[in-house]
Amino acid sequence: MTTALTRPPLVRSTDRVIAGVCAGLAAHLGWPVRNVRTGMALATLAGGAGLAFYAWLWIMVPTADESARRNARRPASPIAPAVSLTPAPVTAAHFTGHAPSAPLWGMPDAGASAAGVRSSAGASGAAVPPAAVPPLAVLPGAGDGAAPTAPWFSVRGVRYGKEILLGTGLLLVAGIMIAQLLGVDVPLGTLIPAAAVLGGAAIAWMQLDENRRAGLVDKTKADQAGGWGRLAAGLALVVAGVLVMVSGSGSWEQTWLALLASVAVLGGVMLVLLPWALKFWRDLEAERSGRIRETERAEIAAHLHDSVLQTLALIQRRAGSEHDVVRLARAQERELRGWLFQDPGKEAGQLSDRIKAAAAEVEDFLGNAVEVVSVGDTAMTEAHEALVQASREAMLNASRHGGGTVSVYLEVSDGRVEVFVKDRGPGFDLDDVPEDRLGVRESIIGRMKRHGGTAAITSTPNGTEVRLGLPARHPDNAEGRL
Amino acid sequence: MNNAQGTAPNRPAQSVRVVIVDDHGIFRSGLKADLDASIQVVGEAATVEQAIAVIARERPEVVLLDVHLPGGLGGGGREVIAGSAALLGTTKFLALSVSDAAEDVVAVIRAGARGYVTKTISGAEITDAVFRVAGGDAVFSPRLAGFVLDAFGTAPADIADNELDKLSARELEVMRLIARGYSYKEVAKELFISIKTVETHVSAVLRKLQLSSRHELTKWAAERRLL
Repeated sequence: MTTALTRPPLVRSTDRVIAGVCAGLAAHLGWPVRNVRTGMALATLAGGAGLAFYAWLWIMVPTADESARRNARRPASPIAPAVSLTPAPVTAAHFTGHAPSAPLWGMPDAGASAAGVRSSAGASGAAVPPAAVPPLAVLPGAGDGAAPTAPWFSVRGVRYGKEILLGTGLLLVAGIMIAQLLGVDVPLGTLIPAAAVLGGAAIAWMQLDENRRAGLVDKTKADQAGGWGRLAAGLALVVAGVLVMVSGSGSWEQTWLALLASVAVLGGVMLVLLPWALKFWRDLEAERSGRIRETERAEIAAHLHDSVLQTLALIQRRAGSEHDVVRLARAQERELRGWLFQDPGKEAGQLSDRIKAAAAEVEDFLGNAVEVVSVGDTAMTEAHEALVQASREAMLNASRHGGGTVSVYLEVSDGRVEVFVKDRGPGFDLDDVPEDRLGVRESIIGRMKRHGGTAAITSTPNGTEVRLGLPARHPDNAEGRL
Repeated sequence: MNNAQGTAPNRPAQSVRVVIVDDHGIFRSGLKADLDASIQVVGEAATVEQAIAVIARERPEVVLLDVHLPGGLGGGGREVIAGSAALLGTTKFLALSVSDAAEDVVAVIRAGARGYVTKTISGAEITDAVFRVAGGDAVFSPRLAGFVLDAFGTAPADIADNELDKLSARELEVMRLIARGYSYKEVAKELFISIKTVETHVSAVLRKLQLSSRHELTKWAAERRLL
């Protein structure tokens, strides 16, 4: 474990010739890529061992992307540092450990949240198809194959137990084959059926673990079909092995009769045990859903603790300052809304998000509410960045000089973007603004013009409105950035 | 009194009878204190059943209705409006919500509410909204205007389009200005039309929002969780 942790995790690199196995291995072991590739090629000449090892790693090792996705965590509450003046207490840190990597809200079965809890354990085993391992082909490298997989495999229970088991089995097979090559008489007629029985049972038992993990990692249970296939394969192996062993002693007819009788007995036993098993299953399900609810509740409690309770405590302490109380309440409201209503499927970092973030910043800074209404959305470009900055400047001015609620309206249609920032202050005359005041002239009008946009300011005694526009064409290639 | 309101001006010339429906007692009393003296709160209710009973008994001109309410079949404000369907001609509903979810807003508007405002609205603004709704007009907050623009699209209607599925060029202009934070008066001034004309346009938009069979509208609202 200690050595494993100091190394970069074994993942398939994006710098690849075939599947990025060699590059990933080199990064993990700290060897030059060239050496690893040459070694692999040489090993391939040695009876195809390198090829088998490569295939093994290709199957078993996740890509860097997959690995990152698995370890992805939900970022901590954004408001906590913005609002709380005191560092988050220890309990909060403890709770945030439960933050799920999956969308929390409207989650039909809580597989995802449970997966989040376990995500630190790196439940990556679900991606490993044990049946896909070619058991006879991998000879010398098999034992090594288990060890490098360590960092991304679960650390709970017996560490790398499955890998060690598989490796031992494969080494055993290799030993037997070598022994046979050296002329030792191995009773293959008994060993192969016995191995089939053992292998089948192992596959079927593995299923138990795989299934559970698949359910936790992937709530759509897309793996279910594979699971059933594995169960069937295990069953077939066991039955075939038993049949071969038994049929050695008698005729086929007898064997079939015996098989029929065993099936009949098994059916009878199943009939008797079925109600009991069903009840057991139902209890298990009930307990599971109870645990899921508990996890979800803990999740919500943790969030409320981190955000709302902290803010309420702050508000009580600062009850004297109306400005602070309003500011805190607005910030908390925003954060809670984001948590409750944010569409997890929506792409983040779009223009509307940025405008809303700028509004939030201004709101926090000056204390006046900034209401954003947005229609349509678009991905950010450099010109949009300038638009966000100009909008922010306009919001700052509106909040500072308007002194009341600032209305911001963002409309994106057919690529054309318009932003309106309106306040209800006493207004001002643009011509009266001294030349050296950069706020309006440079940060808003100049910035928009430089990016091929427009800026207009209308000011009346009843309020001021700043209108910013950006044409539809992509300024990246068409508009000049002077 | 009920007969007079159809043509009543939006000035507080007379008092308006109002029922407040909200499950939070603190919010109800806060709202009552905030409302203008010319608004007479004749009843309060905290659940769907209470609300339907109080509305049937008091027959108020305006009901300030929270979108999320306990009781009934879980339909909240929508269910209260449905349960008071017989009074829909004389009693107007103004939806009041902290929710940002488009489906909540669209559901309660389509059930028959005449407007939608957020709970952070000031006392003066809500008083104004109550009189406006009592006068038969629609009340659109900037956010609701944004919902409408998002739902109907920002392109004006062609002649070929179903009249209910698109906004006219003028209606779009009005919606845009409201979304930008303009009051009805400011909209009228900006477009060189009378306030009455603005109100007519807003009512037309509300009607489209309520009656449009545009299948995307419901789907859109369900999918769109936040604007």
